[in-house]
Amino acid sequence: MTQWLLAAVLGLLFALGTFLVLRRDVVRVVWGVAIISQSANVYLVTMGGLAGAAPIGDFRGETPPPTDPLVQALVLTAIVIGFGTTALALVLTYRVYEEHGTIDVYDLGGEGL
Amino acid sequence: MSDETESNRPAATAGPTDETEQTVNTSTGRVGPAFDHRTTVIARTVVRVVVPVVVVTALALLFQGHNRPGGGFIGAVLTATAAVLVYVIFGLEYLQSHLLGIDSSPNEPHAPTGWYRWLFAGGLALAAGSGMFPLLAGLPFLTQGVAFVHGLPIYGELEVASALAFDLGVYGTVVGGLLTVVAEVGEE
Amino acid sequence: MIEIVLAVVFLPFVGAALAPAVYRLLGERTAYYAAGVAAVCLALVTRLYTAGVGLDGGTRYAVDWVPALEVSLALYVDGLALLIAFLASGVGVLVLVYSGGYMHGEPGQSKYYATMLAFMGSMLGVALAGDLFALFTFWELTSLSSFLLIGHYTSADDSQYAARKSMLITVAGGLFMLAGFLLLAWAGGTTLIAGGDDSLVATAGPTIETLRSVGLFVPALLLVGVGAATKSAQVPFHVWLPNAMEAPTPVSAFLHSATMVKAGVYLIGRFRPFFLGAEGGGAHGGGAAGSRGSGAAAGTGGEGAAGEAAGEAAAAAASLLPEWSVVFVTLGLATMTVAAVLAVAATDIKELLAYSTASHLGLITAGFGAANALGAETGAFHILNHASFKAALFLVAGIVAHEAGTRRIENLRGLRHDLPVTAVIAALASLSMAGIPPFNGFYSKELLFEATYELGHELGGTAWLFPVVAVVGSVFTFLYSIKFLSLFLGDRPDGLGHVHRPPVSMLAPPAVLGIVVLAVSAVPNTAIDLLVGSVYDSTVPGAAHGFSIPFPPSKLKPAVIMSAITIGVGAVAWPQYDRLHHGIRRVLAGPVRANWWYDNGVDGLTSGGRDVGEWVQTGLVRTYAAWTIGATSLLALGGYVVGEVGLPALSVPPGMTPAIVLVLLVAVVGAVAVTAAPSHVAGVLTLSILGFMVAIFYILADAPDLALTQLVVETLVLVLFLLVLNRLPAYYGQPSPGRALRDGALATLAGATVFLTVVLSTSATPSEPLSGVLVERANLPPGEHASVFTNYGGGSNVVNVILVDLRAADTLGEISVVAMAALAVLTLIRMRTRGDTR
Repeated sequence: MTQWLLAAVLGLLFALGTFLVLRRDVVRVVWGVAIISQSANVYLVTMGGLAGAAPIGDFRGETPPPTDPLVQALVLTAIVIGFGTTALALVLTYRVYEEHGTIDVYDLGGEGL
Repeated sequence: MSDETESNRPAATAGPTDETEQTVNTSTGRVGPAFDHRTTVIARTVVRVVVPVVVVTALALLFQGHNRPGGGFIGAVLTATAAVLVYVIFGLEYLQSHLLGIDSSPNEPHAPTGWYRWLFAGGLALAAGSGMFPLLAGLPFLTQGVAFVHGLPIYGELEVASALAFDLGVYGTVVGGLLTVVAEVGEE
Repeated sequence: MIEIVLAVVFLPFVGAALAPAVYRLLGERTAYYAAGVAAVCLALVTRLYTAGVGLDGGTRYAVDWVPALEVSLALYVDGLALLIAFLASGVGVLVLVYSGGYMHGEPGQSKYYATMLAFMGSMLGVALAGDLFALFTFWELTSLSSFLLIGHYTSADDSQYAARKSMLITVAGGLFMLAGFLLLAWAGGTTLIAGGDDSLVATAGPTIETLRSVGLFVPALLLVGVGAATKSAQVPFHVWLPNAMEAPTPVSAFLHSATMVKAGVYLIGRFRPFFLGAEGGGAHGGGAAGSRGSGAAAGTGGEGAAGEAAGEAAAAAASLLPEWSVVFVTLGLATMTVAAVLAVAATDIKELLAYSTASHLGLITAGFGAANALGAETGAFHILNHASFKAALFLVAGIVAHEAGTRRIENLRGLRHDLPVTAVIAALASLSMAGIPPFNGFYSKELLFEATYELGHELGGTAWLFPVVAVVGSVFTFLYSIKFLSLFLGDRPDGLGHVHRPPVSMLAPPAVLGIVVLAVSAVPNTAIDLLVGSVYDSTVPGAAHGFSIPFPPSKLKPAVIMSAITIGVGAVAWPQYDRLHHGIRRVLAGPVRANWWYDNGVDGLTSGGRDVGEWVQTGLVRTYAAWTIGATSLLALGGYVVGEVGLPALSVPPGMTPAIVLVLLVAVVGAVAVTAAPSHVAGVLTLSILGFMVAIFYILADAPDLALTQLVVETLVLVLFLLVLNRLPAYYGQPSPGRALRDGALATLAGATVFLTVVLSTSATPSEPLSGVLVERANLPPGEHASVFTNYGGGSNVVNVILVDLRAADTLGEISVVAMAALAVLTLIRMRTRGDTR
């Protein structure tokens, strides 16, 4: 049952993120992208298995297997890069506002940005 | 969509002239550069105590990352957080002239970011450059090795991983990149 | 020998690369440089021929090309390859010499000669290719150089239209052919075409079995057929060829009569032994038996088979008319007739010759299509004959257009007074084209008549249509050939101005071709012994059985009667030529014309593409996002439906504790709050709730590094958001109910896709995940430590070891992204005052 619950949680997060991405306010679009990338990270970590010890130490003996370190490495860089891109998106938003006096995608689209 | 509330800011005129008309946007709440005058004594005292701890923790995370939780990425974001803490409480000016010892003279208002820029460029160069050494030994690009130094005082045996150089590169790149972003946005 | 074969293919490309430099030195005399390169190629091909390479069975040469993918550049020399190589280099020499006169004072000569040489190299490559990859590559190169040459007059609209049309049709056909090649390569397990024991032709039986077992034999045949039909301008793809006459006349003579359009029939000939290989053995035996004696002997054989058992007769009939023949005999005869009729309706001499080329290529296709020995003989012989007389006629047409200043048929008459030598050549070539004995065109047409008669006789019923259609097509061929000849007969019309004498450089090449026509006509059996016989060998499966020429006929064979009918009906219809001409032109309107379909199709695609673009490319972020998300979701869901993925049984993933569930639920509440946030600040703060809940999730999921990073990054994001939001306007209001509903539906679709994907993928964890290897290699191997390790990561934090050692190159890329983001921010803010803003 919890597996379905997990799927439902991720589905909901994605749906909310998608809804935000479709808004006319650029800041909300940035939020939407942030939510989607957060839930993608959670999904990846879940794929690596929730049971098991943290992947630190020597696991070649009789010890139980650790959680998947590969997805953790992926997600670790994804978090940092996600921060970089969020920052870039925010600065872009700011510059767009400076140039055009609006952050409404309808007004911006009309100007052929 | 008639129900949007109009912003009380005038339509921005692009360019540096914008600096002079920093009106207070009441609808968003007042946050940002104004902190440096409104922070309390408690906040300043706490930050004075906490920031060194944070920086030390960050460096510890960086150097022990090979064997325990930590690593270049984590150390870097934590270091950046320390800088941001100072910035939020004491202001950008204080961070740059008092802590980092960079004079932002009127002629060169962007000197600090020039310094950060070197940090991330240097970090990238270090990471890539450290990967070149194995090529000299005929090993693939970015091959890492481990060496054991015996008979040291205090440590006894010390494990030296060449990956540390790469991790330092990662650290430099991420710290430099994040500080550049924060400083550029903060200066506005 | 391999050096010679490679030199033949690559020398023209070297020559082409040098052509612009040579043009600076020599100017218009570059023509003779190019002709010299072609002559060297011709000499090399001749050297191969005199060394006997490929005359008794083919010889394959291979050099490594992409060793990592086991792709080699295989070249294959046999009779067919030699014939096409002779045509490409020999006609190349003549046409390039001719160009020296024709192109006098024309623009873009350096490009012209470079492209001509590159084309010649590509065509030699097609001829000598022994591998599907090489064949396809050179094939496309011929299309490309043809495009450049047709569009030689780059500023003329007609030229552009024609170039686009030929490119579109031939390259699209080439892609079909590529798909066919992929099927063959998959089924045969090799990309070698012929020669040796491991090639497609040698393993035709099992390969065809494999294809048939999955029902892909006919598709593969059709795909290769489409490639050949587009290149050789077969109905209904013939429409590009008349337009291609916009090119300078030497190009028409070279590419669009003698060589490039031959690539299609070459392909048919090349794959004939493969596609007829398995079941064609019996048919070939029967056909060969028929061809040994007269039609009557074949008739006895057929009747005998019918008498024995109805079932066997049916089997024999099926093997006599395999799919191969159904496709190519029909295609070839249809093209032969339709194009001949269209040629009668032509008003321009080059248009007439273009349709006539398509018609004769149809004849060759039909010949190769017939699954009997006579068919292969027809195709092999007519490739040579057609190249000789048609290239000559094109060059003659070039002389007429160049010296008389017009190509309109109605304005031209009595040219023999001004162009006596040209008139003799034209007479020779057009009589050969008409199929009048004793010229060489007659022999190959006679062979086709025999081949189709045999088909009709042995199969009966509707198969009798084959010889009938062949005769009808030939009648029209007779008519337009005589029409071309009549340009030189009669009195000079008053409207015709002064006609110059052509320079020697323009007169000699068609004269040489005329001599070839005469020579083959005089001693056909010698020509067959010298080369055509081994061309025939290359196009039949198994061992070949020699070659029989039907002339002079020893008795009154049906084919001779068919020829007599052709010439007789043609002669009777000749006085009515103008009425036929106008009658056909009246019928040609609207959807009857293949051009109507082409033009409307292209227009429809163009305007349709523009409409779709306006629909998808609105300049609004939300439009792009909506299309991308919607399409991705539908594709993923469609994939699950098509793949018939079953839902897994309910199970609890190990490690899923109530605490994790609680944290995730709080995260969802945070996300809902973000979506409903009334202001930017409220949204950012609730976004942080989500972020910190995710950090706690990482702690609970035993990922300490992630938790640390996430916590710190979340703090930084919060500060950054607040800094920026300070300068932005507050709030943009609620969406209208209709829009919210639509976006909600799309969001639900995306959410449902993710839900399903998570359910399906979490239940399908591999039994031996990759992480095992990484965990194994992160630490040092147990035991005494040597002083230096390079094969192991040498750290206990597996995640960090992956980042800095095992997958360090990935990390290098990722920190580059961070650096780039910082640079982009710098650029956006610092450099805004430079350059144009707004």
